[in-house]
Amino acid sequence: MASAKKSDVNLENAMVMADPALADWLVAAPLILGFIFGAICLMQRKNVLLQTRIALFGLLLMLIADIGLFINVWQNGTVVMTMGRWLPPFGITFAADMLGATFALVAGIVGLAGGIYALSDVDSTSRRYGFYPFLLLMLAGVTTAFLTGDIFNLYVWFEVLLISSFGLIVLGSERRQLDGAIKYAFLNLVATTLFLIGVAYLYGVFGTLNMADIARKAPALQEAEGPHFAIAIMFLFAFAMKAAAFPLNAWLPASYHTPRIAVSAVFAGLLTKVGVYALLRIFLTMFPADRDELGAVIAIIAALTMLVGALGALAQTDIRRVLGYLVISGIGLMLAGLALGSETGISGSIFYAAHSMIVMTALYLLAGIIGRLMGTFDLHKAGGLYQASPWLGALCLVLAFSVSGLPPFSGLWPKVLLVKGSIDVGAWWLAAAIIVSGFLTTIAMVRVFSFSFWRTRAEGLVEIGPISREGRIKLYAALGLTALTVIAGVYPEPFIQVSDRVAFELTHPQTYIDAVFGGNQEGGGQ
Amino acid sequence: MQLTFYALFAPFIAALFAPMLVRIFSHNAAWILALVPALLFFHYTGFLPEISDGGRVTGGVEWIPSFNVNFSWFIDGLSLTFALLITGIGTLIILYAGGYMKGHQQQGRFLSFMLMFMGAMQGLVLSDSFLMFFVFWELTSITSFLLIGFNHDKERSRRAAMQALVVTGLGGLSLLAGLIMIWNITGVSEISLLLGTGDALRESPFYLAAFLLVLGGAFTKSAQFPLHFWLPNAMEAPTPVSAYLHSATMVKAGVFLLMRMNPVMGDTALWETVLPLFGGATLLVGTWLAVRQTDLKLMLAYTTVASLGLLVMLTGFGTEKAIEGAVLYLIAHSLFKGCLFMVAGNVDHEAGTRDVTKLGGLMAAMPITFGAALLAALSMGGLPPFVGFLAKEEIYYGIASADSWSIFVTGVAIIGNALMLVIGFAVALKPFLGPKVETPKSAHEAPLLMFAGPVVLAALGLVGGLLSGVFHKLFSSPMASAVAGTPLEIKITVIPHLGLALTLSVITVALGVVMYWGMAWLREKMASLLKAIGWGPDVGFDQFIRGLVKGSTALTRRLQTGSMEFYVTTVFVVLGISLFVALYKADEWPQLPAIPSLFIYEWAVILICVIGLFSVIFAKNRLTAIVSLGIQGFGVALLFMLMGAPDLAFTQFMVETLSVVILALVMTRLRLLPQDHRSAYQTFQDGFIALGAATAMTLILLGVVQTEFDPTLSEFFNAYSYTIAQGKNIVNVILVDFRGVDTFGEIAVVMVSGLAILALIRILPKKTNPDVPRSENTEEIF
Amino acid sequence: MEVAIAILTGVFFLVSIYLILSRHIIRVLLGVAMLGNGVNLTIFTAGRITREIPPIIGDDATVPLEGIANPLPQALVLTAIVIAFSFFAFLLVLVFRTYQELGTDDTAEMRDAEPEGEASPPLGY
Repeated sequence: MASAKKSDVNLENAMVMADPALADWLVAAPLILGFIFGAICLMQRKNVLLQTRIALFGLLLMLIADIGLFINVWQNGTVVMTMGRWLPPFGITFAADMLGATFALVAGIVGLAGGIYALSDVDSTSRRYGFYPFLLLMLAGVTTAFLTGDIFNLYVWFEVLLISSFGLIVLGSERRQLDGAIKYAFLNLVATTLFLIGVAYLYGVFGTLNMADIARKAPALQEAEGPHFAIAIMFLFAFAMKAAAFPLNAWLPASYHTPRIAVSAVFAGLLTKVGVYALLRIFLTMFPADRDELGAVIAIIAALTMLVGALGALAQTDIRRVLGYLVISGIGLMLAGLALGSETGISGSIFYAAHSMIVMTALYLLAGIIGRLMGTFDLHKAGGLYQASPWLGALCLVLAFSVSGLPPFSGLWPKVLLVKGSIDVGAWWLAAAIIVSGFLTTIAMVRVFSFSFWRTRAEGLVEIGPISREGRIKLYAALGLTALTVIAGVYPEPFIQVSDRVAFELTHPQTYIDAVFGGNQEGGGQ
Repeated sequence: MQLTFYALFAPFIAALFAPMLVRIFSHNAAWILALVPALLFFHYTGFLPEISDGGRVTGGVEWIPSFNVNFSWFIDGLSLTFALLITGIGTLIILYAGGYMKGHQQQGRFLSFMLMFMGAMQGLVLSDSFLMFFVFWELTSITSFLLIGFNHDKERSRRAAMQALVVTGLGGLSLLAGLIMIWNITGVSEISLLLGTGDALRESPFYLAAFLLVLGGAFTKSAQFPLHFWLPNAMEAPTPVSAYLHSATMVKAGVFLLMRMNPVMGDTALWETVLPLFGGATLLVGTWLAVRQTDLKLMLAYTTVASLGLLVMLTGFGTEKAIEGAVLYLIAHSLFKGCLFMVAGNVDHEAGTRDVTKLGGLMAAMPITFGAALLAALSMGGLPPFVGFLAKEEIYYGIASADSWSIFVTGVAIIGNALMLVIGFAVALKPFLGPKVETPKSAHEAPLLMFAGPVVLAALGLVGGLLSGVFHKLFSSPMASAVAGTPLEIKITVIPHLGLALTLSVITVALGVVMYWGMAWLREKMASLLKAIGWGPDVGFDQFIRGLVKGSTALTRRLQTGSMEFYVTTVFVVLGISLFVALYKADEWPQLPAIPSLFIYEWAVILICVIGLFSVIFAKNRLTAIVSLGIQGFGVALLFMLMGAPDLAFTQFMVETLSVVILALVMTRLRLLPQDHRSAYQTFQDGFIALGAATAMTLILLGVVQTEFDPTLSEFFNAYSYTIAQGKNIVNVILVDFRGVDTFGEIAVVMVSGLAILALIRILPKKTNPDVPRSENTEEIF
Repeated sequence: MEVAIAILTGVFFLVSIYLILSRHIIRVLLGVAMLGNGVNLTIFTAGRITREIPPIIGDDATVPLEGIANPLPQALVLTAIVIAFSFFAFLLVLVFRTYQELGTDDTAEMRDAEPEGEASPPLGY
């Protein structure tokens, strides 16, 4: 009945007519896999064993999809797919450029490592109440946030990953978990709400939600009247808070040490980095002109974040809380590259982000292992681990030096890139902050090592037993991540190639715009 | 050429196998492991002919082409001599460690660390590319951290290890900044290329910064006053470590760096003032502090500090002869200091103490060790016919001259050298001569593994002096040429030539003999002097670490108060300020809007919302608060209704009803009261913050609606909602089709929140001590 | 029209931020709930406001009339309302459980994660 009218409509004006290549579906694969496996796990909620196996299989598939997507983007450039086949900017576009694909890949690794570690860290009650569904959905949310090309859709994935992380953080319902969860939940909700307000403003001014569309309209509109800079600041604020940049970082040290270690580890690897990703996307792809204005401000935030994080790490007695502050310090380094805005600097930021995701996760996993062995996370009571397990000591040192940016581990190279990028433009104080924060981190981590490994065990504490058979699974998860940091430290070339390519794309936003609109600039909305 | 590539990795690979080999062969594994440095030594001797003819060898492979960093090496007189010292002494030290650590439970680990350190040091001297140099530089810091902290049960060891890492690690970071700066100034990132760009560097406005940063690296590593304190503390390490790190390797890395940079950074007034000044101060401080000590290793450690000072002073003095003297002294020092440390280790190992006041008459029991010690002490004292003599003569040739600066430097050198002679003999003679003193262990000669090293090194000090022609041709002349940047030929022999230098030598020896005689008195005086001063950089280090920890604790407690109110307040204060600043900076204030013309009923609905909002704040009981919340929610629903959004109005209505109902349930259950007890001041403050942030957001929104709206998207939806997507309700079509993915995510949020609520309600905490991580609960999984 | 609603959102923000700044967790929660409404109105206003004509296509038409309300913000607000409600429900239960376990509704007394007066970090080596 309606077909008669329908035939009047020229579909080519509204829809993408070509069938998407099969490989392009990889853009949506992490989302689809996360949801399917999350749902299956939920259905098998009571069957803990089966549910665990399904979840791990799902995490593995997600990682494989991420790898496939990464290779695809590396070889063929930005992969774009519009959901429902509506022409961009009308439908919701998923656009995986090198930035998104790289972050998604590292997120997949972190997720799998966390899932494996959880095998012997998360009890069956927590699993019955949704540990793996939460993890899968959080990972799906994080990954899709990296891949979506629509700003409101980005907000939706922020909420998906946020509510999943709420689920993870409260599993166990211990007093301090709830206390941490309160602060985590309210402050993060405020941040995402401010993000949504920013989206509303943006829509009001640009009349569009597609990021590439916004990016191509920005230069002309920023000449016009209207609150453009203030909107950029709104986004800067919201995402800096998500990223735990100083002075909006309080929620992180208040909560990251409270849940199970497996949860803290994936949080450290994934959550703040979504904020960093969003900042890069907003200020490099969408509003490069505002970034140029804000360079100095971001640099100050970056320097303060690095230093406050590193000093905070020195002030802790609980190993997990040391790590929480180191996460913050790392955020400062990632912001430094954004502040510089040069290809060298951005490349350093990207490499550092990937490094930090891997190494911070590994450090939390390691902290879980040593805390379990010592029966405490308290540095006052720590000690005696070197006797019990020298190899664990080696692992700890590798990660400690890696997070401090000492060679030959992965932390060094991004720092060198950032220091070089800073000195290139004469920002010697930013270079100094990078170096000093690395120095302070070294002291903080060497103290942790010295107290828990080298120092003999205090009288009257239980003997440290060997790592149990189940505990070894945790070790494998930590070892896998540590191997990555060693490889990236000894042979950084492929990693720098990737981050250089990301930096090139980010400093040339036209590539992203062209990819989304397929060179068809009349595609709509002009 | 590619053999050098493998050579750079060989020690690390050997380090991997060390623990296994020790498990199989116990301490005899040292014989096998020592083959590695021995082969490396042999490999490097192969370069001698070419280098001694003034050649240079470079080679390498691509490492990080994206960043223009190669894995490349550069062999000239300087690096070759260093490489030979590192591998040659390394061979002896590995053997020595085999004997010294015999039976120690962790001998394998120890040898492994030693080999790693050797690899780092070897890489450091051979690196061509800056970043590779830096990587190996920091690796020496890291491996020395492991070695110094080897006796990790003792807090002193842990402290010393951390001190070394903190001081040299910080220096390394300073060096990194310096190298990157040089890279930016000159545009080259390889040492072999850098050597031709000295003028560009010296004339750059950033020369001073680069100079200071490089100096930061060199002075920390080479323990220059006032950063010398980590070196004596590092004596907590087992003796093989001291013998290796503090004779030819680790501490010489700083001197190596300065010598490397001399052709490009030297020859400026800055260089020729700062280096001699700090070097001279270090020389004097080191020797006087050495006199104070009674522990053999500490005496040697402080003379090492002094020697490093002498080397820095000479490197910066600026004459060719001074550089020749520095080169000769560096080689001589490596030989005799390595030997004397091992001698001290042997004495300690055999007699059970290193306290020089509790030792005596060991000559009969340990004749071979004594012989080695004596030869080394003679070289250290600068007596003919040892290499040490050549060095001292050349030094005096180099620095003695008539101007006041030279006289000053010469005076410093004479006092320093005399005191070093004193210490050398105190270490070499005092424990062995005189009446036999009862020692904790009854002494025997050390085993072969342990006297091989000292004997060989002592003998080399003699052979080098006697065959000075060959010695200069192969080692010292090429090295001096590399340091000076111009070809130099050293001619000095052990045959003394009457002249100023010899006179100064004689004065030095005479002064030394006198002071040796009065050493007990000197020691006492120094002890009381130091006591009077009371503070030193070593104490300063403790104060620094404590201050750092306490300071950051104070800062962090201020920033991270634990109170959510504080966190939230920070957020909104920062929000308000940053939005206002943004509006002000970009001048994006909205234009003054006209008074809106609304219908009466529209005003009424808005009023309802406002009343609802404020009555939530002022509600005195639960019911009022809940009802007020409901009122503002329904007000919003009405607004949606009035503005053409019936779907929204309906949803909002449902959601508000649901919210009010469950809120009522919870609040009644908890008996929570809605009012709070803010003080008047607090009320004002919070109100002000809220007003600020809210006003800023409103101003932006007013600005937004004043822009021209681009309706393209909605026009598209209107056009195709029915024609393609077959839906009459455009909002619904957007939700399920145009933007279906959003809805997908939204459903996920609803699902997950349901599950999370379930988890919250159903999981009850276990009664465990929250500080103790719970046991692994895995029985159901496996 | 937009101006009036924009100012109304300001009042929403003012009241909700004032409530969120409270130490009493239930007031914070009320503030969060009202903040959500403020945001929804903001989205709605940003898409410009027209009176009364809903974006629905008539029975025998293929395209809607001129001058209908902008449908896109409505769709966005619908999504946002549902999400905000889910969060509200979760936070309410979280507050409830926290009150049960910690026995307080005052955030200043919620000091389990970051206890008051904890020991300073060790100063030795």
